[in-house]
Amino acid sequence: MDPARPLGPAQIDVLAQLAVATVLLGGIYALVSVGLTLIFGIMRVVNFAHGEFLMLGMYLAFWAFSLWALDPYFVLFVSIPVFFVVGLVTYALVMRGVIHASHNVQIFTTVGLSTVLQNVALVAWSGDFRFVRPWHLSTVLRAGGTIFNLTQVVAFLIAVALTAALVAFMRWTHAGRVMRATAQDRDAATLMGIDTDRVYRLSFAIGIAAVGSAGVLVAPLYSVYPTAGLQFVLLSYVVVVLGGLGDMLGAMLGSLIVAAVEVAGSYLFGAAWKEIFYFLLFILVLVFRPAGLFGQRGAETLGV
Amino acid sequence: MDSLLRSRGGALVVFGLAAVTPLVVRDAYFLDSLVLILLWGALSAAWNVAGGYAGQVSIGHASFFGIGAYAAALMVTRFGRGPWLGMLVGVVISIGAGFVIGFLSNRLKGPYFALSTIAFSQVLLIGVSRWRGFTAGGEGIPVPFRPGFATLGLGHAGWVYMALAAALLCYAVEVYLERSRVGYQLAGVREDEDAAEALGIPTRRLKVFAVTLSAALTSICGSLWAQYIGFVDPTYVFSVDLSVRFALNAIIGGMGTALGPYLGSILITSLETYLRATFSGVKTGFAGIYLIIYGTALILVVRFVPDGLAGIAARLRTRRAHA
Repeated sequence: MDPARPLGPAQIDVLAQLAVATVLLGGIYALVSVGLTLIFGIMRVVNFAHGEFLMLGMYLAFWAFSLWALDPYFVLFVSIPVFFVVGLVTYALVMRGVIHASHNVQIFTTVGLSTVLQNVALVAWSGDFRFVRPWHLSTVLRAGGTIFNLTQVVAFLIAVALTAALVAFMRWTHAGRVMRATAQDRDAATLMGIDTDRVYRLSFAIGIAAVGSAGVLVAPLYSVYPTAGLQFVLLSYVVVVLGGLGDMLGAMLGSLIVAAVEVAGSYLFGAAWKEIFYFLLFILVLVFRPAGLFGQRGAETLGV
Repeated sequence: MDSLLRSRGGALVVFGLAAVTPLVVRDAYFLDSLVLILLWGALSAAWNVAGGYAGQVSIGHASFFGIGAYAAALMVTRFGRGPWLGMLVGVVISIGAGFVIGFLSNRLKGPYFALSTIAFSQVLLIGVSRWRGFTAGGEGIPVPFRPGFATLGLGHAGWVYMALAAALLCYAVEVYLERSRVGYQLAGVREDEDAAEALGIPTRRLKVFAVTLSAALTSICGSLWAQYIGFVDPTYVFSVDLSVRFALNAIIGGMGTALGPYLGSILITSLETYLRATFSGVKTGFAGIYLIIYGTALILVVRFVPDGLAGIAARLRTRRAHA
């Protein structure tokens, strides 16, 4: 777009379309990222396998859709408990033993987990790109010169509802308060009689339930393949780092920023290059604002 | 000489056996495995320079491997020059890239550094895949075989010695880091950066030095690999799996030990060769089965034997000394 040209109706439409696209995308990224910021903030563990749980969620939606013609929105009711249990099992088998270990041990444990999950998917379901095409993907909505399909809008609404529910849970329930207390100070929480192992188990399970459900929601919007999680995991790290460790509202704001970068990048340079923008944004954020846009507590324990 | 033999005995056995093997064994399959064991060992030793000795754990070393591989392949196919010149260009580019990554390591610690290295390799992957006009994009580049030393068109025995030379180069750098002042200073940086800084060790400069050195060595091995395999494609040479593989050999063998990466490579590469032979009849994803095993091995090793094979060997030796 030529900035010198006065803004006519056509340009305003483009801007409106880009703005709405940013908001819709941001809502989905927020759901992908809140699980990560929860695990990261409370357990102080960088989960490199986070994206693989998203990928598993996408496959769940794909199989439910192609075997039983189940719409992803119905699968959501199943996916939340299923991934909660997956989180509990993963915590017990893999994460529990390394929670007090060094960063290097945690990095390689979760990287190993990521490799295993990706390749289990590869062996079980092959490397083919799969697609979920429910009816609402071709239902077009028009509003004020902007055009969207129903899937995007519903995915956005559900993502926002789930994220809001999680924020409310953390803020107003007893379990949520206990989790936040543990995030603030592990040792003090233990002294207050909080069973930190239980808190970690619960946080990990909730985080995995959130990201698995995000996978189900985005399945119709992206192609499904064994390494589909990688682009999301790096992107959600940008979000989490931008928003601040463990800060859920920060994660929502971070999601909007990342979505804006992606939307503007695809519009100006073409969709083929869009990934390169979040990776560059990622490196820039890490270099210039590793403690988040607003700074945050708890950063020192990760040595930032 | 006696102390040298005792401390470097394992290395003498490993490299000595590799040097003798082509003289007695003619089996192409066996020699191929040996070349791969040495090359993967050398690559893990190169990773170890940054990850083990300096404590800068990268999961993006495939970046430098890919730069080396592409530099050599493109020099041959696009410019009609020899792969040696490509290797040199690759090293120069990798030194530049290593400098950038080394600078990142001064800003970022632990998991953040690891994440930034992954992001760096992904930027290269996307860039190379999209720049079709020059790099041939996702299709990859077949590297022509032209017999002769100048074109790196060697026979199996020749490749064993070439890979052995790379392995010895990386091993020599590791030994230097164990015995020199710089090496001790790096160990200080790895164990406690603040304390090292307080003692007047230039920690920032040393980290950049270690990461850059590691990048250059990785690039050299990447160039050799491209010429040996004869095919380069972006999704393989810049993949996260490859970066993990470099780290895996070093972790299994023992991070921060000179021979560890080679021991890890012997174990892992043989396992891969064995599995390839076993599962070659099965159509669906040999690579997948292999990677499942190696991811599981990674989880189990860091949890239960964090000092790797070299650590086990050291413990056995002390026990014997006490008995």
